Amino acid sequence: MSAILCHRLPGGEAGLAGFGGGLTRPETLDGGMWDMHRADLLGAPDRWRSDPGLRLLAPGNAEDARHVPILADATGLSGVERLAVTIDYSPFPLALVFHPGRALPLLGFGVKYEIAGPIRASALTGGEWIMGGAFIDAMGGGCSAPAATHARPDWQDGFGEMRARLWPDTGRLRVAIRHPMDTGLADGIPAHHLTDLTLTDARGEKIARLEIHEPLEENPVLTFLLPPDLARGPVVIAARDTSGFRFSGTAAA
Amino acid sequence: MRITRRQTLLGAAAALLPVPAMAAPEYRLDPRQVADGVWLIEGAQDSIARTNGGAICNVVMLETDAGAVVVDTGGTLRHGAALREFADDRLGGVAAALNTHHHPDHWFGNGAFADRPIHALPGTIAAQKAGAQALSDGLYRILGSWMQGTAPLPATVTAGGELTIGGRGLTVMALSGHTAADLALIDGQTGTLVAGDLLFLDRAPSFPDADIAAWRAALSRLGAMPVTGTVPGHGPFHRDSRAVAQTLAYLDAFAARMEAATHQGLTPVEALAAGPMPAFADMAANPAEYRRATVQQWRAFEISALPVIGGSTLQTTKN
Repeated sequence: MSAILCHRLPGGEAGLAGFGGGLTRPETLDGGMWDMHRADLLGAPDRWRSDPGLRLLAPGNAEDARHVPILADATGLSGVERLAVTIDYSPFPLALVFHPGRALPLLGFGVKYEIAGPIRASALTGGEWIMGGAFIDAMGGGCSAPAATHARPDWQDGFGEMRARLWPDTGRLRVAIRHPMDTGLADGIPAHHLTDLTLTDARGEKIARLEIHEPLEENPVLTFLLPPDLARGPVVIAARDTSGFRFSGTAAA
Repeated sequence: MRITRRQTLLGAAAALLPVPAMAAPEYRLDPRQVADGVWLIEGAQDSIARTNGGAICNVVMLETDAGAVVVDTGGTLRHGAALREFADDRLGGVAAALNTHHHPDHWFGNGAFADRPIHALPGTIAAQKAGAQALSDGLYRILGSWMQGTAPLPATVTAGGELTIGGRGLTVMALSGHTAADLALIDGQTGTLVAGDLLFLDRAPSFPDADIAAWRAALSRLGAMPVTGTVPGHGPFHRDSRAVAQTLAYLDAFAARMEAATHQGLTPVEALAAGPMPAFADMAANPAEYRRATVQQWRAFEISALPVIGGSTLQTTKN
């Protein structure tokens, strides 16, 4: 059972199957930086396993190294406490840490790709790490190139604008924030990026939290999955960045 | 098994033999006359790959009293050189070259025509200059040794309006949609339309610089032209208007799929993984072109599906 919505498009179910369904043979993923990142970033040097309940959809190659679209779907697992996204050869290997809380363990996002290699989503459930991933070929350079917005003199116009929409029928919530997500690696442009985002319900009770690091794409768009009661909305979205800016908005169904 | 001293020596010697360099790949052209003095060298129907050396676009040569007018120069210097050789041998040399737009499969062979005027729309020349390095990096990575010696050479002459070269009258149309500057050409003598990548036939269109609304407008202009035959940018020569109809149908179906995906809350990678519209799934270069197009065009569709709900404030500390 997965929460992937390809079947909503004509021919999409067959398309997804032909694409591999978001599953990669685990033996092909047991290499690269995995041992080191598991120990250093996840604190789990010893044990891990794969599970078809965790799918990661990613393109085979990065058409645009500044926007590589990813969907991590761990809804086939139970009791996911945390979902960590790591990129093997990135200058910032830890991209995101999602604490689903009362949301479902599904996260859609885009990342910048500096060097071709695997991207992994690791789910912590019952003290055990379950990992799924995919190899992405890329020209690279996504983390060290200046954000596209800096090509404009008026890049602050529209900065922080938040867009969002709730789909109560599927439980989807999509959130977009206008932000350069500067990594600090582009010449003369200091680091300036989002650091975290929270979802809360109408009563002010926390739903979920996302820790955000440099690899998240410029003008990020995030996709969440909420259970039916929360998907009726409203959902309050709040985010912060490294420069002390706060971003907020409310998505109503 | 006993290994003799002689066998051991032979084995050691074999290991020392130089590894033969991979033979330099060759471009094999198959020029065909599709109308009086109109030669077509048809490109492979795939994406740019090592199996085709980047020779994927259609190249047209129009015979004139002063030599051939070469419309698009191929994807690498050596592709351009092979085209030049055909023109020199069979068509009395080259009078001029033209680039229909700035995508590299159409002009990276310019180096083989550097001693002749190379015409393009002003927007194309600007895009060639701005994008040469990035396009070149990408092609070297995909094509390897096919790219030997290729240094992108932007067009040198601004094209537009009516053009007479070696006694042959050509109408240059400045359009856009596939890119910001797309040149289409009508040969006055035969009424042949050379459409560049505004038209694709039986091959999935590519979208890296596409403006779908402008592309539709360009198609309606091309569809209204009285022509006797059409060479699309990719796909076979034909005498009816089916490339116009098919390209338009593809644009409409692609746009409808992106609308459906963004308005149902799909993520871009789900739209990508779902694959092309069923009616176009088996087209040459699909699903690769569809997947690429999804990444390239997604944000233009997504913005209308996500309403503005908030903004930013700078947190201030109260003393």
